[in-house]
Amino acid sequence: MVETIDLFKDYKVGKVLFPALRGISLKIEDGEFIAIAGPSGSGKTTLLNIIGCLDIPTKGDVLINGTSITTLSTKEKAEFRKNELGFVFQTFNLIPVLTAYENVEMPLILVNMPAEEKKERVISILEEVGLSEFINRKSNEMSGGQQQRVAIARALVKKPSMVLADEPTANLDSMNAKEILSLMKELNKKKKTTFIFSTHDPLVMEFAERIIYLRDGKITSDKKK
Amino acid sequence: MKILNLAWRNVFRHRRRTIITAAAISVGLATMIYMDTMMNGLDSLAAGNIIDFETSHLEIFAKGYYREEGLFPLDTIIENPEFILQRIAKIKTIKGVTPRIKFQCRINNGIDELPVLGIGIDIEKETKVFKTANTVVKGEYLKNQDDILIGKDLAKDMDLDVGSFLTIITRDRYGTYEAYDFTVSGLINTGHPLLDRNAALMHMNIAQRLLSMYGITELCIKTRDDNKLMQLKQEIASKIGKNFEVYTYKELNAGIFDLSGMKRSGQFMIALVVVIIAAIGIINTMLMAVMERIPEIGMLKAMGFGNYNIVKMFIYEGGIIGIFGSLFGCFLGLLASLHLVYYGLDLSHMLENIDIIYPVKFIITGEINYMTVLGVFIFGVVVSVIVTLWPVRKATKLEPVEALRHV
Repeated sequence: MVETIDLFKDYKVGKVLFPALRGISLKIEDGEFIAIAGPSGSGKTTLLNIIGCLDIPTKGDVLINGTSITTLSTKEKAEFRKNELGFVFQTFNLIPVLTAYENVEMPLILVNMPAEEKKERVISILEEVGLSEFINRKSNEMSGGQQQRVAIARALVKKPSMVLADEPTANLDSMNAKEILSLMKELNKKKKTTFIFSTHDPLVMEFAERIIYLRDGKITSDKKK
Repeated sequence: MKILNLAWRNVFRHRRRTIITAAAISVGLATMIYMDTMMNGLDSLAAGNIIDFETSHLEIFAKGYYREEGLFPLDTIIENPEFILQRIAKIKTIKGVTPRIKFQCRINNGIDELPVLGIGIDIEKETKVFKTANTVVKGEYLKNQDDILIGKDLAKDMDLDVGSFLTIITRDRYGTYEAYDFTVSGLINTGHPLLDRNAALMHMNIAQRLLSMYGITELCIKTRDDNKLMQLKQEIASKIGKNFEVYTYKELNAGIFDLSGMKRSGQFMIALVVVIIAAIGIINTMLMAVMERIPEIGMLKAMGFGNYNIVKMFIYEGGIIGIFGSLFGCFLGLLASLHLVYYGLDLSHMLENIDIIYPVKFIITGEINYMTVLGVFIFGVVVSVIVTLWPVRKATKLEPVEALRHV
C-alpha cells in the first residue's frame, strides 16, 4: 500500500520558487490500476517521481507498505527501486544497442539469480507482452508499440509490487495505445501488480479504475469507477 | 547479460569515434615502443663498438693515468705489463688480454695534416680481444714494421689509399718531436667513428720507439661473462695492487651511457605528450558518451543501478577502448620495431660527417625489450581507465529524475 501524507514539492528556478505539489495526501491499495490525470504543470509527474523514489518532497512523507521512503539514503532508495518498482517511460528509454531480450534482461543484471531462471523469466514475460517473435530485434527494428511492450516487459520482469508509468501512451497512435493499455490491465489482473499512470490521455482514463485529478499541485477529485 | 557485455556494446555504438580514439592511443604507444627499441639498439650497438674496438670489457691503467686520460700522459704508464699478466693469468673468466699504447699524434700525407689518435697494438694478442682485424675492407692487416692501418673515412679525408705513404708526428715522453714514415697496409671500416675517422693503428714496438718508452698505456681485458664484470674488476684489482687501476667499459664511457639515459628520458617525454593527447581524446569520447546517454543513465538509476554499477560500466568502456588501442599500439610498435631489428635504420649518409658523440654509424638496428612492450600495454590500459574517471564523475552526480528529464 502507498500512502502520501501532506506532500509538498517546490522547484527553484533561479530565484523564483515554483510549487509543484501543495499538500497531496492519498492512499493507493495493492493491485490498483490508477491514473493521475491533469493538465501540464499540474504536478502529476512530480508525484509519480516522488512515489517512485526518484525525487524527494520538500515537505510531507510517503509510506510504501509502512516504510517511509523519504528517510532512505540514496543507496537504499536504489535498492528499493531495484526490488519493488518498475518504470515505463513516455519515450520507452530502451538501450538501442541491445535486443528486446537483452533490454528486458537488464534489470536482472542486479539480481542474484541462476542464468537459466533469468532466461525463463525474460522469455516468459516477452511472450506475455506478445513479443516472442521479436526477442532478437533491436529497438530501431521495432515499432513504437512494440518498443513500449519491451519497456513494459522490462518493468515487470523483476516481478515488482508496483509499476509507475509516466505518460506511457503519449508517443503511440490510438490503436497501439489501446493495445498497450489492454496489456497492462491484463497484467495488472493476472499479476496483481499495482499500476500508477501519470497521463492526460482520455484513453488511459478510460482504462483506469481510479482517476486522481490534479490541478496546480492539489487533488481536485479522486474517483473510483 | 553482464555489465561488461553492455559496456562492450556501448563502445561500438559509434564505431568511428571509438576507432579514432583507440588509434590515438595506438600511435602514442607505438611511438614509445619504437623509440625504446631504437634506444636499446643504439645502446647495444654503442656498447658493442666500445667492447669490440675501443676498450674491451675492462682496462687496466697505471694509477693516476685515467684521471688525465684525455691528455694521454706518458709519465704514468704501465712500465712492466708482465707483472700484471702473471698476477691475472689464473683468472678463468678472462678470455683475452692485450696491451695498447694510445697517444696523441698528427697524420701528414705530405700536403695536409690532421690530429689523430695513435694506437700501438700487439697484433697477436689484439685479435683475442678486439675485432679490428676482421674489419679490413681494403689491403691487409699489419704485417711489416712500417705498416699502418687507418680508417676508411680518414683515408678519404686525407686522400690516402692502400700503399700510400704517410708520416706520423708526435712528441715522445720527454716532449721531443718525433716522426715516422709509414705505408698504409689496409683500410678498416669498424662502424666506430673513433677508429674509422680519428685513429691510426701501428705495431706496438714502433709506437714505443716513437714515444721513447718501453711500457704501455693500458691493458685491455676481454671476459667470458660480461654479466659479472664488477666481480671480475674487483678480483683483478685485488690481485694487481694499488699501483694500478681497473675500469669497466661503462665507467670509461660514463658520458655516453649517461647521454643514453638523458636521450631516453627526452624521447619518453615526447611519447608521453602523444599519450596525453590520446588521453584527452578518451576524456572527450567518454564525456560525449556520458552527455548523450544522460536519459539512459537516468533510466538505469531508476531501475536500481547505483553509482557503483554506472561507474563500472563506463570504466569498462574506457578500459575496452584502452585495451584495443594498446593492443593495436603494441602491434604497430612491434611491427615497426621488427623492421628496425631486421632491416635497421640507415643513417650512414646522414651521419657520415656529423659527430653524434655516440660511438655508432652506418645502420642502426633495434633491440626489442618485450618487458617494455608489456609495460607500455599496461600503461595504455591504466591511463585509459584513469582518465575515464573524470567524465564519469558527471554521471554519478546526476539525480535520476534530472537525468530522465534531460532531452
